[in-house]
Amino acid sequence: MSLVSLVAEKIADDVRKVANTPRELAVEARYAVGAYRRGELSAVQIGRTAGATGFAVLVVALLLFPIYWIAMSAISGTGGSVYAAGGFSFFPENPSLQPFVWVLGDLIVPGLTISVNVPFSDLALVFDTPEIAFLDASDYGVDNPSNFKQYFVNSVIVSVPTLVLAMCVIVPAAYALSRREFIMRRKVLFGYVLFTQVGGGLGIASLIALYAMFVQVGLNNNRLALAAYYAATAVPFNTWLLKTYMDGIPVSYEEAALVDGAPPWRVVTEIILPLSAAGLATVTIFTFLTGWMEFVVAQTMLSADKFTLPVGLFALIDEYSIPWARFSAFALTFASPVMLVYLFAQRYIEGGLSFSGMEG
Amino acid sequence: MSTTSRIADRAAALPAIEREDVSLLLVLPGLFLFAAFMFFPMLYLLGISFTNARPSNLFAGGSFLTFGEATFVGLENYATVLADGAFWNSLGSTWLFVATSLVLKIGLGLGVALVVTNRRVRGARFLRSLLIIPMGLPAIFTITIWRGIFSSAQFGLANQLLNWLGAGTVAWLNERWAAFFAYNITEMWLAYPFMVIITVSALQDVPRELHEAAMVDGAGYFARFFHVTLPSVKRPVLFASILTAAASFQQFLIPYAFNEGGPARLNELIIVYGYREAFQFSQYGQGAAIMLVAVAFIGAFMWLNVKKGRLADGVDEA
Repeated sequence: MSLVSLVAEKIADDVRKVANTPRELAVEARYAVGAYRRGELSAVQIGRTAGATGFAVLVVALLLFPIYWIAMSAISGTGGSVYAAGGFSFFPENPSLQPFVWVLGDLIVPGLTISVNVPFSDLALVFDTPEIAFLDASDYGVDNPSNFKQYFVNSVIVSVPTLVLAMCVIVPAAYALSRREFIMRRKVLFGYVLFTQVGGGLGIASLIALYAMFVQVGLNNNRLALAAYYAATAVPFNTWLLKTYMDGIPVSYEEAALVDGAPPWRVVTEIILPLSAAGLATVTIFTFLTGWMEFVVAQTMLSADKFTLPVGLFALIDEYSIPWARFSAFALTFASPVMLVYLFAQRYIEGGLSFSGMEG
Repeated sequence: MSTTSRIADRAAALPAIEREDVSLLLVLPGLFLFAAFMFFPMLYLLGISFTNARPSNLFAGGSFLTFGEATFVGLENYATVLADGAFWNSLGSTWLFVATSLVLKIGLGLGVALVVTNRRVRGARFLRSLLIIPMGLPAIFTITIWRGIFSSAQFGLANQLLNWLGAGTVAWLNERWAAFFAYNITEMWLAYPFMVIITVSALQDVPRELHEAAMVDGAGYFARFFHVTLPSVKRPVLFASILTAAASFQQFLIPYAFNEGGPARLNELIIVYGYREAFQFSQYGQGAAIMLVAVAFIGAFMWLNVKKGRLADGVDEA
């Protein structure tokens, strides 16, 4: 619970900060104008600050333009202006959310009939639950919705076991690497650092052997076997990342607990784990995303009915024509939760990636 | 001092699992899992590369970790691969891609990092958090967006930009060097957040006093950049460069999703080449040989960098 509340607190904090940013900028601008009037600040200095900020905003806008572009094409409907021959326009002429309806399809909780036999009698209690329709796709002129829900379920079946298995091996290893001295420690750590970037490509390189092995034991097209593979690929980077978070916890806390007579396992569960909550949250996100985002191996191993979301997304692309509005809507529905989670977890991710833990 | 000895006493009284070297047991499950899915397949791959394995014979009648009815052919696959012009073209394209994309990645990363750490920029933290969004997006998502941008049709964003500039349209993915250029731009966009994160944190560690001292000495912006900023961020940027160079070498998704390394297999980066040889042309043995040669190249590259770049220094002190 403490982890959840901590995360919620941080998110609220971030939202507050973002909401406050315009106000702070306004205050600063007013201050600058005042200082200029009093002659404490020259126009050149104000101009430089404004220019630098404007330039930075422009750079960010240009770099993020592809994301804006895909969002616009998702709401542009079939004959939207984004792809009109007349050229690009910043907002489609006839925005429509229909592509998103196509992605989600019907959202209906079907009516259920539940009957309970009353013991020692012939009586039965029968309950009928009403059908709850959140969204009926045919109301919006969508007859053949996408397979998004099916892919979504497949992705969950892959990602959740990936997360559980990976955390089971990562947390103890990160603790040992951070707090204990043992033979091979440096070698393991250095190997893990190198594999953070090289791992993905090695995975594809050995894909032929991996595929052959999976086929030989009949585990291709098995989502749990895929989850085990993903958990394995997540080990080096996440172990190393969690270790750098644990390095930040002062050793004196543990010593104090030991002096007070706490057994070692309580030191871990009551000091190390709670204090590395931010790291645990980050590693949780990363290991979950390993299974959620991987494409190549999933595409090789799985058949159409077990496609995960990335494979399903790529399957939408036809060699010659891409249904852009639908494709974009599908892609955004798939990616936007990830993007939001990432945005909030970012400060931890940034802290972990900055290689400050390299020396530790 | 009595506390220290009490801790030492307690440590001595700890059960075996808590004593030092036994902590290796906590690391082993992860190592084992990683090895089972990474190194073990690599060994099996080595075995496959010495056979004439194809889906038809490899899976015939065999059980786990045998080669089915595939026969041992020695170094024949390696001979075939090394005599193939397409292989050398692929390897050359890959190293060229590593070089060009690395220059672009460092350039953009360093440039953007300098912009968002400039002390005149207001709301820099906020901008930085927006900037690294691409890193959090599924690679297949971003790559298919870029495929749309470089769409050969008139409405592709790159072509619209060319039109706006008054140039004609380009069939981006149907011409070798245009496609290669498109790969580079996409790789640059995918990798810049990583470079920005590392460069920003390195830039923030540069002592303010150094800049101020240089300013007092009358150094201009560029002089300060070359003599103060650059030397201070050199090592982190070098480290990041080597890691992203390795990532570039293994780039698979961009060529695969854009045009399968086309046109006509001209732009197949090495991993795509091996993958297609195995899975689309059913030549498992040759595919395995290609992949192992690629792994050997990247292994040698990383080893050289670790030794010559003294990358291990930071970790060895741990």
